[in-house]
Formats: sequence, structure tokens, C-alpha cells
Amino acid sequence: MKKKVLSFMLVGVLAVGALAGCGSSKSSSKKSSKKSSKNITASEDEHTLSVYAWDKNFNIPALEAAEAAYQKKDPDFKLNIIEQSASSDVETAVTTAGSSKDYSALPDIVLFQDHYIQRYVHDYPDAWQSIDDANVDWTQFSQDKVGMSTIDGKHYGFPVDNGTVIMAYRTDYLQQAGHSVDEMTGISWADFEKVAKDVKDKTGKYMMSMDHSGDDFPYMMLQAEGVSQFKDGKPQLTTEPKVAQVVDVIAQMAKDETILLANSWDEYTASITNDQVAGVFNGNWIIATMKQNKDASGKWAITTIPTLEGNGQQGYAANGGSSLYITAACKKADLAKDFLAYTFGGGDGAIETYDNALKNGGVISTYLPAVQGDTYQQADDFFGGAKVYATLMEYSGKVPAIEQNDFHYEARTDMGEAITNVINGTSTKDALKDAQEKLEFAMEDSSSK
Amino acid sequence: MEKKKGISLQEKQSLAGWGFLAPASILIFILSFYPMVRAFIMSLQTGSAANMQWQKPLFHNYTRMIHDTTFIRSMGNTFLYLIIQVPIMLVLAILLAQLLNNKDLKLRGLFRTMVFLPCATSLVSYSLIFKSMFAQQGLVNSVLMKLGIISKNINFIGTTSWARFVIIFALIWRWTGYNMVFYLAGLQNIEYSVYEAAKIDGANGWKTFWHITVPLLRPTIIMTFIMSINGTLQLFDESVNLTNGGPANTTITMSHYIYNLSFGKGVSNFGYASALSFVVFILVAILAAINLKVGDTRD
Repeated sequence: MKKKVLSFMLVGVLAVGALAGCGSSKSSSKKSSKKSSKNITASEDEHTLSVYAWDKNFNIPALEAAEAAYQKKDPDFKLNIIEQSASSDVETAVTTAGSSKDYSALPDIVLFQDHYIQRYVHDYPDAWQSIDDANVDWTQFSQDKVGMSTIDGKHYGFPVDNGTVIMAYRTDYLQQAGHSVDEMTGISWADFEKVAKDVKDKTGKYMMSMDHSGDDFPYMMLQAEGVSQFKDGKPQLTTEPKVAQVVDVIAQMAKDETILLANSWDEYTASITNDQVAGVFNGNWIIATMKQNKDASGKWAITTIPTLEGNGQQGYAANGGSSLYITAACKKADLAKDFLAYTFGGGDGAIETYDNALKNGGVISTYLPAVQGDTYQQADDFFGGAKVYATLMEYSGKVPAIEQNDFHYEARTDMGEAITNVINGTSTKDALKDAQEKLEFAMEDSSSK
Repeated sequence: MEKKKGISLQEKQSLAGWGFLAPASILIFILSFYPMVRAFIMSLQTGSAANMQWQKPLFHNYTRMIHDTTFIRSMGNTFLYLIIQVPIMLVLAILLAQLLNNKDLKLRGLFRTMVFLPCATSLVSYSLIFKSMFAQQGLVNSVLMKLGIISKNINFIGTTSWARFVIIFALIWRWTGYNMVFYLAGLQNIEYSVYEAAKIDGANGWKTFWHITVPLLRPTIIMTFIMSINGTLQLFDESVNLTNGGPANTTITMSHYIYNLSFGKGVSNFGYASALSFVVFILVAILAAINLKVGDTRD
């Protein structure tokens, strides 16, 4: 009898819990749908725009800065920033809307990853609005960045952050190994490998680390050479000799144990914060991770990327980053275009927007005149008092635009696979042939369309 | 009475039967069979989800996969996990069940709970915990180092053979207790008198186990086999969260590859992914059929 009473009570608790759960989720979803539909139709409010963004420490402060800047032009303006948990949520939202062919659920503007946008514009052409008629002088931006959001000759995106790659070194470790940052500027990858060995021998630290599940290095190294994994829409892993050279550099460093190939992003960032590496090679957004290791303050220095040729030739590349896109759901395209052109697009509010974006979110611009802002000219003690942001803006203008492709990430994965195979003893030629075939296989289907 | 209503008792019962069956059947049709038909149609198409077109030739998605080295490797991986993990797990489960079914064992409930507990953890979280345990600077490496068994950290997740081992090990940890519960239930249905009779006849422990327990547990064994095969063929969370298919896609499973084709890396190739899902579906069906035939003794 007692047991029965107890079990009834438990069932009751579960039922109440489940109902409460349902109830609250229902009401909250109702609330949010009401909210978003209000934003989208928003006929009663001509001054509000909605936007998806995903990082409250990074790109959301940038959007808030833009909102504040535009309010000087339009005091009633309101930007409704809807926070997503990850960039992939925005991609999924577009995929879902595209599959149901109903774009009305999307916000007016979305922040979207640069390397994905080509593919998404091709796959869901109706989801986006071209911004060719927006009042923007595109020559004032890093050409690489603008190239990312220009699809089939049409502009779609307003650049936000800057993925310009930094090559950062620990000056103390280099010194222990008998080298200097000056020597590393314009160095060739072959000499870099030798320095890496010295560093490993003298300090026991890896020269660099790479997230081997994302495989950023080959792309960045190729961009520094001005080549892409693709040529005229076709993969060129076997035909471009520099691809093989780049793969060889990474594989050789892995064999020398001078590069740490991390199995995941966490392992990668841990290698930086736990003082396992003497160098960091990635988009400048990695600075936030580097700064988590407070003990290393003042010991880092930034320079350009080594190149295959060396002899003083310096490499520039960009990795990662996102831009703002106006979706098909936006009924106030003119307002959206004006707002974005005024702020991120280099209008009157641009300097203010980008300055505050850097101050509050660490977002570095690709709008070259933004360097006039006060924050850009500040010295950073973490980098021994160097004006890192101004330097980065200078690099940013030198990043060569290279051919982009829908299959960017496929190419990364296949090249990462090739690197693993080369480390395990396959010849570079065979490994790249394999990668080329895989990539061609993946692309075959879409070319038959 | 019945005639006045114009309906016979039998008809009434049959109507009631249909009435009870209808809600569940309709739901299954809408939520399972209809999507299956749609998925099959999709598997004959290509293009993005917004703009699906018929594949030319129609079965191109199916013929294409023969040349897909990644898919063939993912199939090989899945079968490797299946062949190694399922037998080990089921044998362990049946032995544990036998041990924990012992009437004289003290703290039986506690031990049973402990063995079953891994099943209460979420797939994602246990995968992530295994991942951090087997990381290059993880717990396993430091324990082995401290014990002097290894002199250099092993890159478990970054080496193909080790990564496969970790996945199999994790699977055994996670699912043995689950299967054990079925065997425990099966064992409790076996009359104790059967064992007493065997004891009187002079059978030792091993003989009783092999000649009485195993045959009487046969239906349960077949059921756990089918469930394990089915589950392993659809293995997903471990591959995604533990190794992320790496290194170089050498530990990727079929479901993980299908997911990558549909949602990963910005490539939304739903048509090809659905075609692959149907291949997995057919594989599961074939294996289950073989299992049923082999296990069926009523001929």
C-alpha cells in the first residue's frame, strides 16, 4: 500500500514537472514568435531592425556600437539583437527556412560566416538581398574580405570583423634558442623549420600548434603565397606545386615534433594558454585566447607569415570572420542598407562604430580608414607596448584576394587528411592525389546540376 | 438486441479494435512512414534543400556511393566496431548478470545499480568525458606516466588504432549494463528448480550455465543482439563527440558521415545523404533478418 502511494506521488511529480516544462516552453516560444513576428512585419515601427549574432563578447558589442552610432542619425532607431548560441545556429536557420521555402521566419539581418556564404547564396539564392545599390565605397576595405561576400559579381555582405592572420612569437623562448623576431620576419618556411628545432631543443616548447580537426594552416599558408586550393572552380591540390610544399612543411614539423597537432579546438587553445608553444599562427581573433595566459604578458610579439621563398618576402593571410547580410525577410531593405552603410560600410558613423567595436568587443575592422580611431592607435602592453591593432590594419590591406569556393571546408578536411597520411608514411604525391580525388568526388554532384 | 442496432457482436469488437489501433497507427504513418517515403524520393534528387531536382540518371546517388572512399571507410569502421564490440559487450553482460543474480550475494542492489549507472549518462556527456580522459594531457596518460608504464604521452585520439580502441572501450562501458538488465530479467524467469535438478544430476557451474542458462536465455540473447547491431550501425554520438571522425576520417561512422553530408561543413547534400541512409536501413534489415533466422529454433 505504501509503495502504491509512493509511486502515485512520483508519477504526480513527474506529470507536474512535464506539464510545467511544456507550459513554460510553450509560453516562451509563443512570446518569442510574437516578438520576432513583430520585428519582421513591424509596420507600426519603421525604425527597428532585427539581427542574429552569436558572440556576446565579440560581435554583439560591435552591433551595439553600430546601433548607438546610427541613433545619431535616426534617434528612434532600434536594433533588436537576437543572440544565437553559435554561428552554426544561423546557418541552420537559413537551411531550415530554405528547405521550407519560407524565409519570413528569418530576421532582417544575419551575421554569417564568410567561408560559408558562397555556398549558401548558391544553394538558397532567394534567401538574400543584394546590396549593390548601397552607398559603400568598397575600395576602402580589405579586398580579401570584400571578395568573400561578393558572389557572381554582386555584393551581398557588409564586412564586420577582420580575420587577418598574425604570426606571434614568444620573444623569451626565441631568445633562449638564439633567435629574434626580426629574424623571423620574412623568413622562409625551410629556415623556420630549423628555428623550430632550435626552440624545441633549447626550451622544450613546440614552435606552433594547429587544431588538426579544423586544419587552418594549409589555407593560411597558401594564401600567404597568393594561391588557393582552387583554380577556375576546380581543385588544384595535385597541380599546384605549392600545395605539396605546404603539406610537406607541416608534415616535416610534425615528424620533428616541433608542431603540436591538437585533436580538438579545446586542446589547441589549451596548448596556447598552458605555455606549450613558442608561436601562434592564426586569425587575430586568437589574441583573446592568448591573453588568457596573463603570465605571458609582454613576452609576445607579432609579425608577418613566413613564405616558401623567404628572402625577406612576407606573407599575409586572413582566416575566419563574418559579415552582415540582409535576408529576404527584410521588408525595410532601404533602412537596413542605410544603417549598415552608415556604420559598418564606411559612412559617417563608421569610425565611431569600429572604434567602440574594438574597445568593447575586440573586433578589428577591415575598413582601412578605421585605423584613425583612438583605440587603434593605443599601445598594447601584452605585446610589449606595440601598436598591434594599427599593425594589423596595415597587414589587412595587404592580404591577397584568392579564389574562394563553395567547397572550402571540404578542401580543408581533405588536406588535413593528406597531412595525416603523409605523417604516417604515404608519399606527398599519393596523399594529395587521394585528397584531390575526394574533393572532386564531393564536387562532382553539384557540377552535374 | 444486436440486430436492432444493425451490428453484430463480432463487428462491434472488430470496430472497437480498429478504434483502439487507429490513433497509434495514424501517428506512426504520419511520423514514420510518410517521412520514409519522402526520404526515398529525396534520395533520388540532388541540389540544395530549396531547389531539389531529379538526379540524372535517377539512381545516380546510389551508384555514386560505390566510388565514395569515405563512405566505404565509414562502413568498414562501423562493421569493425560491430564485430569487436558487440560480442565482448554481450558476453560481459551475461557474465555480470549471472554474477549479480546470485541469491547469496550481499549488496546486490548496489552492484546492479553501479553496473547500470553508465546507461543513465547522456551519450554526449560521456563521450566528452572520455575524450578529456584520453586527451594528450588527460587523466589516462598522466596515470600511465606516473605508473611508469609509458615514457611519452600517447596521442590516443590522434592515432587511428588507439582512437578506434577508445571508441570501442567507451561503447562497452556505456552499454554493458544496459544489456545486463535484459539478461537479469531473463534469468529471473528461469525456475530455480531447474538449477536444483541440474545440481542433483551433478552438473557443475559451467555446465549449468552453458546447458541451462544460455538455451533458456536464447530469446533475450537474440533480442539484445538485434538491438546492439541496430544501435552500432547507427552509431553517431561517440564518433562525433569523442574523435570527431578523426584522425583523417579513419574513425568516422556511417551516421556521422551522413550527418556531415547534410549539415556539416556548409555542404547540404540532402539527396545523397538520404540515399546513404537507405543503404544503412537495408543493412540493418538484412542483419536483423539473418539474426532472426539463425535464432529461430521452431522449425
